[in-house]
Amino acid sequence: MAPTASPKKIGIFFSHADTGRLDGLDIPRIMAFARELPDVAAVEELDPEARPDPKILAETIQRLQLTEVVIAGDTPGGHKPVFTRAMVMAGGDPELVRLASFGEVGAATGAAENSALAAVACAVHGVPFGLAVTPARVPVHPDTLVIGAGVAGIETALRIAGAGHKVHLVERAATIGGHMAMFDKTFPTLDCAACILTPKMVAAGQHENIDILNCSEVQDVGGVAGEYKVRVLRRARRVDPEACVACHACRDVCPVRVPSEFDEGIVERKAIYMAFPQAIPNSYVVDGENCLWVKSEGKKCGACVKKCPKDAIHLDEEPHSEELTVGNIVVATGFDTFDAELIERYGYGKLPNVLTALEFERLTNASGPTGGRIVTRTARRKRKTKQEEWVFDTEAPAPRSVAIIHCVGSRDQNHNPYCSRVCCMYSLKFAHLVKEKLPDAACYQFYIDMRAFGKGYEEFFERIKDEGVFVVRGRTARIEAGTDGMVIRGEDVVHDRIREFPVDMVLLAVGLEPARGAQRLAKVLDIHPGCDGWFTELNYNTDPTATNRGGIHVAGVCQGPKDIPDTVAQASAVAARVLGSIISGSVRVGRDSVSPEEAADTAARLASIKTQEEPWPSEPTHT
Amino acid sequence: MAIRANPHLIDELEKYGAQDVVKCYHCGNCSATCPFSGDVFVFPRKSMRYLQLGLSSRLQGNLEPWLCYYCGECSEECPRGAEPGETMMSMRRWLTARYDFTGISGLFYRSAKAELLAIVLVALLTGLGLTLFGMAQGDINIYDGPGAFLPAEKIHVFDWVMAGVLVVLLGINCVRMWWYTVGADKEVRIPPGEYIKQLFLVPWHFITQHRYSQCDRKQPWAVHLVLMLSYLTMLILIMFFLHRVQHGPAIDWKAHAFGYLAAAGLVGTTIYALAGRVRKTWTHYQHSHETDWIFLVLLLVVSVTGIIQHVLHRGGWTTAANVVYIAHMMGVVPMLVLEVPFSKWSHMAYRPLAMYFSTMREKALLAEEETEERPQPAAQTA
Repeated sequence: MAPTASPKKIGIFFSHADTGRLDGLDIPRIMAFARELPDVAAVEELDPEARPDPKILAETIQRLQLTEVVIAGDTPGGHKPVFTRAMVMAGGDPELVRLASFGEVGAATGAAENSALAAVACAVHGVPFGLAVTPARVPVHPDTLVIGAGVAGIETALRIAGAGHKVHLVERAATIGGHMAMFDKTFPTLDCAACILTPKMVAAGQHENIDILNCSEVQDVGGVAGEYKVRVLRRARRVDPEACVACHACRDVCPVRVPSEFDEGIVERKAIYMAFPQAIPNSYVVDGENCLWVKSEGKKCGACVKKCPKDAIHLDEEPHSEELTVGNIVVATGFDTFDAELIERYGYGKLPNVLTALEFERLTNASGPTGGRIVTRTARRKRKTKQEEWVFDTEAPAPRSVAIIHCVGSRDQNHNPYCSRVCCMYSLKFAHLVKEKLPDAACYQFYIDMRAFGKGYEEFFERIKDEGVFVVRGRTARIEAGTDGMVIRGEDVVHDRIREFPVDMVLLAVGLEPARGAQRLAKVLDIHPGCDGWFTELNYNTDPTATNRGGIHVAGVCQGPKDIPDTVAQASAVAARVLGSIISGSVRVGRDSVSPEEAADTAARLASIKTQEEPWPSEPTHT
Repeated sequence: MAIRANPHLIDELEKYGAQDVVKCYHCGNCSATCPFSGDVFVFPRKSMRYLQLGLSSRLQGNLEPWLCYYCGECSEECPRGAEPGETMMSMRRWLTARYDFTGISGLFYRSAKAELLAIVLVALLTGLGLTLFGMAQGDINIYDGPGAFLPAEKIHVFDWVMAGVLVVLLGINCVRMWWYTVGADKEVRIPPGEYIKQLFLVPWHFITQHRYSQCDRKQPWAVHLVLMLSYLTMLILIMFFLHRVQHGPAIDWKAHAFGYLAAAGLVGTTIYALAGRVRKTWTHYQHSHETDWIFLVLLLVVSVTGIIQHVLHRGGWTTAANVVYIAHMMGVVPMLVLEVPFSKWSHMAYRPLAMYFSTMREKALLAEEETEERPQPAAQTA
């Protein structure tokens, strides 16, 4: 380009309302910042209601005599073709239309506003964001903290520990394993979930480099990137895992019965319990909230202490805090499922045979309360109180028909607008399990769109249809108690019919939501949850495991709904990132450390190199 | 038969009040929620589909919008916020415009300005006509009896002429409705005997609004029924018992009691509906098309001026009574002339007719199915 050309005049167009994903970004402030950047001649806001018209834009470009255009917004790429056309119509250079994408740099909320500002500055100077925003490198502590010991946390811990580095694995529950430990089978291969997970759990439990902190929660994170000081609250386990040999003597004498969390409340456990026989650490634990001795402060019960042959039970144990120093933190807190009671018309909580997906996982699990027999819930009188209770009895009749309802709480603007990604496939898996165990039972899938997107998934869907499962396109509107079982009503969209027929069991394919406590953890770690509550990655496309803070990574569902293969893949990717930083001995401090002014200065400097036609510096790796 | 797609159908419907139709992803929740969705008429989702595909001809022959009473449950439960209830409402407006052979209806629905202008014009003409008519033959200080400014007997002739014209206009539109929805349909043949057998449905649904009463929510039906019955009572009093209600100043309680009840019903329900639309109390009050406001305001103006005129007349302020009477007529005439054949009032004919046609159609279809036995996929349990 000839240096004698007329001076640069850059116009910035904001299209912030294009997706509605932005939450709390101060657009007027960003626009004011943009106005101060060099060569910026105009800052305009696009009408969010109207589609941009190239003719009008061309007129604007001509009127303002713009030589370059920047489109800024959550996902401004959609507007690029229109602006390119407008630029051509205005007689300008179509190459000089650039994007400042907030979504791409993880700036969806007000907390990440600096990244949005920097993105605008980089686009104005025509410099890639990753080049201008390069946080400094600092030395890294070799130890790693993994928060959450589901399949993602265990996988990451095993990879890092396997490479010879110390890992602290913090888990809120008494055992590691997470949700996957509750599953019966995995889709689409129908492998036994426990057969995949329990060896990994044992490996983690026995690994000399893995320090499992169960019944624990991260309370506080201090320090700086490269050397975080983490305070972990260790709640009282009240049973010494080293001494306990899981002989079950304590369980047999415990008088307290409460719903079992691991079995999704479909059966009861004692106040001293082990979630499941393969729990790691393989030891009993006392539920302090329900133990008579703890509640009465030592005045009542205490039967288990007397019965224990190993003197492993210490009911008076107190919680304590532990301080850890780590260089990298991996967040793998997973999910909780949507509360089906929020959709009243499905009758969950009122109709005994309307089950959530996790309840059915336990019911159909060979190691579950019925030994894997699929039976209906039947009424029984409580022996003591004579109250009616609904239980799964192994001798109870099997359901003659099972309906599975997709998208419960997902893809619904009244609840969660996003797709939870796993429900279609696990619903198909359920259909297979029903058909396998109860060949005479009718099984119905009520779906909106079948999202069988993965390797082998579509084939699995075809297989299910061949097995005789009725697949009905249409969402069920309501489930009501009928004379014999329940009556389900939904539209069969393909056949243009309202279907209303009796069923014995209904499974609700509840969607995924960020785990309870994820918001609190985000505050503690100072990382950004997006609008839906899933943790925001640094760059959706090119850096999906890093966060805005140096050395803090996200793995698994806590970053967004995903299935087991994707979770394991992401967990391994995080391990590679962590190991990379440990091996190089350094980690970049967080992106938040780069102020937008700094980024603008760097971008201006880099842009000046470009005009002198010097080679670009190589892109730094982000670890 | 080839079907022509009209890519601008949604844009067209948006002028009639439809919103967010494109958001619909056809989960069928609305159809399954609706208590009226059954074996033959499955709605509102399918109508949303017609809109998205631009199938004007299908939509034109569709009776389903008239089977919906807009309880609003479908809109509340819609996971996409696609407002199926409001879409059905806008389709009723669109269908009203389609049934109308003059094209005036469509003009009014698409442009509130045109409707307001027409109302003002008709009102002014009415006012001018009545004033000139009164001045030519009476004294403004006399309300009834000899020398009256506007003698009831003579105005009554005008009433009947107007009624005749309106019945003819609406009648033609009703015939067009029959042709679009039943007559032109080659696939379903309704035996002529059925037309006579089911005819009772028209007055039955007109008087009771039986189907509306079957919605899960009863209050909107009750309000609507009170409004309709009040209006009907008033109409009967004026058309057939004018000699008893008009002459004053004595009050003929046997006739007037009905009048008072009807007036209270009209004022009460219109204020209820107006307040509901302002405060958006019910789902069906969330979105108000301009014509909804015009309709309610006109009705309220007519009711209130009617009451004032009555009070003035009985109180002996005859001059004022004459003036207010002209004002009352300036509301009544545009309301009837413009709304009955061309706008919202027309549904008093289309609704009961739709029940009549749909029942016959349903019977014919089910009878056909019994002989043919359509394949039944995935419906029976083991």
